[in-house]
Amino acid sequence: MTQQHPKIEFFTTYPKLEADREQIVDVLIRITPPELAPSEKSRPDLNISLVLDRSGSMEGEKMVRARNAAMYCVDQMLVTDRLSVVAFDDHIDVLFPSEPVGNKAGMKDLIRRVTARGSTALHEAWVRGGLTVSEHLLDQGINRVILITDGLANVGVTSTDEIVSQAMGLFQRGVSTSTVGIGANFNEDLLMPMAHSGGGNAWHVVEPHDIEEIFKFELQGLISRFGHTVSLALVPADGVRIVDLLNDFELTETGRFRLPDLQSGGPLDIVVQLKVGAQAVGTTMRLLDLRLGFTPQDLKNAEVVREHQIVEFAPNYEVERLSKNNEVAKATQFLMNARARNEAMKRMDLGEYGAAKDLIAGTLRETIAACAPMMSTPSVMQEAAALEDALESLKDRAKDKLNRKKLAYAAYRHRSGK
Amino acid sequence: MAHPAERHRGRKYVGLPEFAQAGEQILAEMDFEQERGTVTNLPDERTIRYYIAEGLIQAPGEKQGTASVFGYQHLLQLIAIKKLQAEHLPIRKIRELVNGKTERELESLLGIGASSAKRGGSEAKQYLESLLTQSKRFDGPSSPPPPMFAAGAAPSQAQADDTMAASWQRVEIEPGLELHIRSDYTGPTTTAKTRSLADRIRTTINKFWKEKG
Repeated sequence: MTQQHPKIEFFTTYPKLEADREQIVDVLIRITPPELAPSEKSRPDLNISLVLDRSGSMEGEKMVRARNAAMYCVDQMLVTDRLSVVAFDDHIDVLFPSEPVGNKAGMKDLIRRVTARGSTALHEAWVRGGLTVSEHLLDQGINRVILITDGLANVGVTSTDEIVSQAMGLFQRGVSTSTVGIGANFNEDLLMPMAHSGGGNAWHVVEPHDIEEIFKFELQGLISRFGHTVSLALVPADGVRIVDLLNDFELTETGRFRLPDLQSGGPLDIVVQLKVGAQAVGTTMRLLDLRLGFTPQDLKNAEVVREHQIVEFAPNYEVERLSKNNEVAKATQFLMNARARNEAMKRMDLGEYGAAKDLIAGTLRETIAACAPMMSTPSVMQEAAALEDALESLKDRAKDKLNRKKLAYAAYRHRSGK
Repeated sequence: MAHPAERHRGRKYVGLPEFAQAGEQILAEMDFEQERGTVTNLPDERTIRYYIAEGLIQAPGEKQGTASVFGYQHLLQLIAIKKLQAEHLPIRKIRELVNGKTERELESLLGIGASSAKRGGSEAKQYLESLLTQSKRFDGPSSPPPPMFAAGAAPSQAQADDTMAASWQRVEIEPGLELHIRSDYTGPTTTAKTRSLADRIRTTINKFWKEKG
């Protein structure tokens, strides 16, 4: 892969800001890594362990679909990749340890024989999967455990804090963790933070037939990874203050924002709200300095990209005549929706279903209003449909578990730009 | 430890005898065991000619006089063939895995060139093994709960497990407070990281006292 940098763009609702008044400005920062060259040789080598739940609750279509997804993984991998499969219930079976993906038929045959039985020794299975990956750690490839489960950790280590902390510890030692939760009965408060702290992705499969689609996204994400260990620093100019960063990214130990991996050709949208003091008409001002740090997929050393945003101040009547960038309103609204979903989940946990419903109803109204010019775009239609579905499901207590998961994963996707 | 083939990177071998000898040296160091009587352990010139005829080793394009010149890629192909034969793969399958592959792909097949990855891998491996040991030691309601550790720190043990590669050293900070430091630990490299580590230690101690009541 040649050394290229992501494109960084700054957008405000109007290309100029109103003069002579203090204001809160939403700034959409779009980070777009370059597209990958269309060649297999430019993609990173993969070193993956699939850790597959085979507990009794996986019986039936879930097990069939999970096996099909694992076999899909085998088919997508190259001879330069490595794969291991660990199947677990209350016993751990290493179907095959990490090996180059040469004998695909043999691997698939072993996967095909996995059947459902037993309880869920999730933690030990994850550790075993991590061991198979760490025994052949790739220097410049991607080393990952993908944990697939429909249930709760009920054998061995079960503490969420411990497991999440350990996933972070393993990530710091070069092996990341993604999680795939199937259905309504797994613990999203374990699987989501485990993936987040573990440097991977958290996926929710609502219907078993979606498992294969999720695997396609996960593998595609691995193959198209442009950079990792991504951090962002924003420094406002004098007279400007950062009020909020709507993505709610965590802070690194150096006080920068920790961003998800950069995917080739896949933009990452970040919205920061700035308080800007009154400026005279005609003023041109440097509003914000940005520092993006990341380690390119095929290199060892980190790179830094610096950009800044410059805006011009104009009279109110002139600004309103300019073209409006609806993407800013959409990105802002979607991130506010992520926060509303998290708040709705908290209300549900307290048994305040009426308050949760009101929150989602209000969020839906705001989305329709804010995104009106873009209502026919797929992403806005999908978001509105998801909120309507959540509102409807909140009427039925039997759907609470599934509904909570849908809210959690949708919020997670928006915040991380997925 | 580096793979025996690594030091042959960039080398050339003029003529089949020289090439066969290089292959023999490497395979002898790798110490393959093959059980089947019809497959020779160490490849002789006749075997190598057979591999070339079967398309398992690429026919050399370069010549020096009348002698063919073999390179590192040919060597990798030869070693890969013997490795896969030792794993009882048929010739047809071996051809599929070896024919047309680049040096990098062949090295990857043979696990060559992963020395810095090996260091990182052993750190991850030690960490995971310690998690397994810890969870086994504290299984059951009568065992004390494992200590809480700051994220990213590998759990320490009061006595090092004999089977683990790294050793631990206990360092007293003040009466009642110790640091357990693993032999391969490298400390923070910047002021900001040192400060962050100190903050995490302070937070952990405060949390310990709060939970103690």
